[in-house]
Amino acid sequence: MTSFISILLVIISSPISAYAAILLKRASKSLKLRNFYQNKQLLIGLFLYGCAALTYIFALKGAELSVLYPLVSLTYVWTVILSAKLLKEKINSSKWLGVAMILVGVSLIGFGS
Amino acid sequence: MKTKPWAIAIVICFTFLISAAQILFKLGANQPSIINWQLFLGLALYGISTVLLLIAFRGGELSVLYPLIALSYVWVALILPWFTNEAMNQTKWLGILSIIIGVALIGRGSK
Repeated sequence: MTSFISILLVIISSPISAYAAILLKRASKSLKLRNFYQNKQLLIGLFLYGCAALTYIFALKGAELSVLYPLVSLTYVWTVILSAKLLKEKINSSKWLGVAMILVGVSLIGFGS
Repeated sequence: MKTKPWAIAIVICFTFLISAAQILFKLGANQPSIINWQLFLGLALYGISTVLLLIAFRGGELSVLYPLIALSYVWVALILPWFTNEAMNQTKWLGILSIIIGVALIGRGSK
């Protein structure tokens, strides 16, 4: 597991994680305990979510947190963008600024690790 | 949809569980084999926390609830030094502060 592959994996899985969150958010509305396994959005969302988690575990082997953390934090940006586009949520400047601060914060923790 | 406080509370619980899982994954990644008990316990916590997340999503906007997950980085940064040789430093503290400010801003942006 080289550093390059680790970085590539995280960069690719970042928007996928965000899209998984969108699916899970949509699925949560109509979630019923009885027939949750028939909820397509839930199943696909969980599958992508799980793939992203496994990707992260493998990526940990090959690259430093100082590099991975800033990349993983991009997921929050993707999620807010997709929330606006696909879920029609209103994103104000506070939310954008908050996400920017989170990006900086997660990156700093990565640099300090 | 306004984001309800109970949904925020559940996501914060989620971050505790997911932090424990991440610490377990980190400890497990340093083992000789990638298949180890840390991995399985971490995955179990991941599974339980996912159920919590689904419940929380019913109560608010994704653009408010999802960024809260960044708090898990704060918990991991604070707790990981107990289990490894990593130490706290100024950079990490600044990062923790930045995340907390960011989360507060997003909470403010949800009003």
